[in-house]
Amino acid sequence: MIEVQGLTKRFKDIVAVDSAAFSARDGAITGLLGHNGAGKSTTLRVLYGLLKADAGKAVIDKIDVMKDPLQAQSVIGVMTDAHGLNPRLTAREHIEYFARLRKMTRSDMNRRTELLIEALDMGEIADRRAEGFSQGEKMKVCLSRSLVHDPQNLIMDEPTNGLDVMTTRSVRAIFQNLKKQNKCILLSSHIMQEISALCDEIVVIAEGKVLMQGSLDDLARSTGEKDLEEAFMKITRDGQ
Amino acid sequence: MMWPIIARKELKDALRDRRALGAMLLFPFMGPVMIYFMFNMIIDIADEAGDVTLPIVGAQYAQDLVDYLQQSGIDTEMVELETPADPEQDFYTQAQLDEIREAIRSRRYDFLLLIPPEFDELISSSRRSNIELHVESTRRTAAPKAGRVRNLIEAWGRETAALRLIARGVNPDVINPVTVVSIDVASQQSRVQSILSMVPFFVIMAAFICGMGVAVDVTAGERERKSLEPLLVNPVPRYVIVIGKWMAAVIFSAVGLVLVTILNFFSLSQVPLEEVGIVFNIGRLEILGVLVTTLPLALFAPAIQIFIGIFAKSFKDAQAYLSFLMMLPMVPLFYNMFNTQDREFWMSFVPMLGHHMLLTDVVRGETPEIIDFLVAGFSLLGYSMIFVYGAAQLFKRERIIFS
Repeated sequence: MIEVQGLTKRFKDIVAVDSAAFSARDGAITGLLGHNGAGKSTTLRVLYGLLKADAGKAVIDKIDVMKDPLQAQSVIGVMTDAHGLNPRLTAREHIEYFARLRKMTRSDMNRRTELLIEALDMGEIADRRAEGFSQGEKMKVCLSRSLVHDPQNLIMDEPTNGLDVMTTRSVRAIFQNLKKQNKCILLSSHIMQEISALCDEIVVIAEGKVLMQGSLDDLARSTGEKDLEEAFMKITRDGQ
Repeated sequence: MMWPIIARKELKDALRDRRALGAMLLFPFMGPVMIYFMFNMIIDIADEAGDVTLPIVGAQYAQDLVDYLQQSGIDTEMVELETPADPEQDFYTQAQLDEIREAIRSRRYDFLLLIPPEFDELISSSRRSNIELHVESTRRTAAPKAGRVRNLIEAWGRETAALRLIARGVNPDVINPVTVVSIDVASQQSRVQSILSMVPFFVIMAAFICGMGVAVDVTAGERERKSLEPLLVNPVPRYVIVIGKWMAAVIFSAVGLVLVTILNFFSLSQVPLEEVGIVFNIGRLEILGVLVTTLPLALFAPAIQIFIGIFAKSFKDAQAYLSFLMMLPMVPLFYNMFNTQDREFWMSFVPMLGHHMLLTDVVRGETPEIIDFLVAGFSLLGYSMIFVYGAAQLFKRERIIFS
């Protein structure tokens, strides 16, 4: 469960996030929808504890992110905007590194690593060095290392960015599966199809402001537009 | 204890980087190899200058002088010229001189003494005779050998002069008011000392060079390949991450240090130092002394490098800053070279300077005061902590994480 209230983040004169408020519940996939530069990544970075908010509150499973960022980080799994890997380490070593940093026991680590390698169909690349991995292979490693500790909450910054259709489908299937396990999934995207295919809740964000939160139906009802893209355009136009 | 997890991963990564590993392993071998060859060269020169074989043309005209030279430890070699002499001429003909010059040019001789036929006649009639010493002075050991011969001939000349004066009832001191007795204290030794003083330099440099690749890779490299942000998402305090990365570089630096120390002493033990009259006792105790003295450097050098590595915007940036930093170990070397003052207490607090002095003492076979060890060691530890703390603070900056 992730709750955000009055969240504001400034970089010098620019207000990147302007008193944003929304929530992401357990057992649902919540999507942050906005243009590039709308403040999606900045909002998520505040949530996973790498940026300090200037005002407002962010609470994950009753833990105040501002007050105890390390505690908050321990109940989330994060896929950042940056997907850097160490070219000389194998896929498996990347996953195990994060498992160790999360203080997992060896048996838990091995079990979860095997599980993820299978679920993401990474058997072939598991023991290959990351040098020369394709974009899709890199994303799979990033995704599995963020899931290795089986977190209750997931924060994913554009998780299917640059993936081919096959991989996108398997990633979506994983998210659906996690949703069934009552996890709280918060992801960002600027792709309408992605959001409409995956999300139970949509948070529309533009110029740092949250303009609306609701289900696909809610958005259609309040704008009178059936198509998400049309609805999004209308909401952002009205917002200005 | 979380930092070993980070250190272990960084070490694994570094050990797979063949190029960086090779560079790190190469440096410790450079110094000892250089020292070995330089010492051997000095010893060779000393050996060769020791026994001089003097080729003489016309030795039969100066039996007295030749005897004197032989008694003074010079081996003489009679050289017969192939070009026939001209009975009309008192001195050697141009053709004969050309032959001599050719013999030197063709490297048959480095130098050659030429005694004119009228030598004995002139000397015994209390007159003066020229003799010629032909030297190709650019050849190794030719100049010192010829110098020795010249000194002996001049000494013989003074003796002859003294005898002439005595025969005439004059005290030789009348024309020799002053005699300069130059005593060569230890020109070999001082050259050896200056080479020995390179040992501390190589050891200090090793601390900086061997950990540098790792230090840059775990900081600027991590930022550049965009793997820093995903790492910081894990619930690990920043200072723990910095300590883990620092320790990985420390291990490389320490391995380099130990390697360079052992190799240096091994190389010195292979050189016959006693031949040039140097007493240099290398024992386990000395090696241990150097290691105890220098290991704090393996903490200090990577601490600065990690700090700068985090500060730098890119890998290239970091390398530019750090190659500038490499000048740092040279400062105390130059300072100690030109500093004629005695050691003062404040010097022990200056990073590197204190260590350089300690190492110089140890290499010379002196045992420094224990307080100097402690001050230099602990002050360096303190400086390391300041840089590690600073690095951890930098790691909290938003601009460092996202740039």
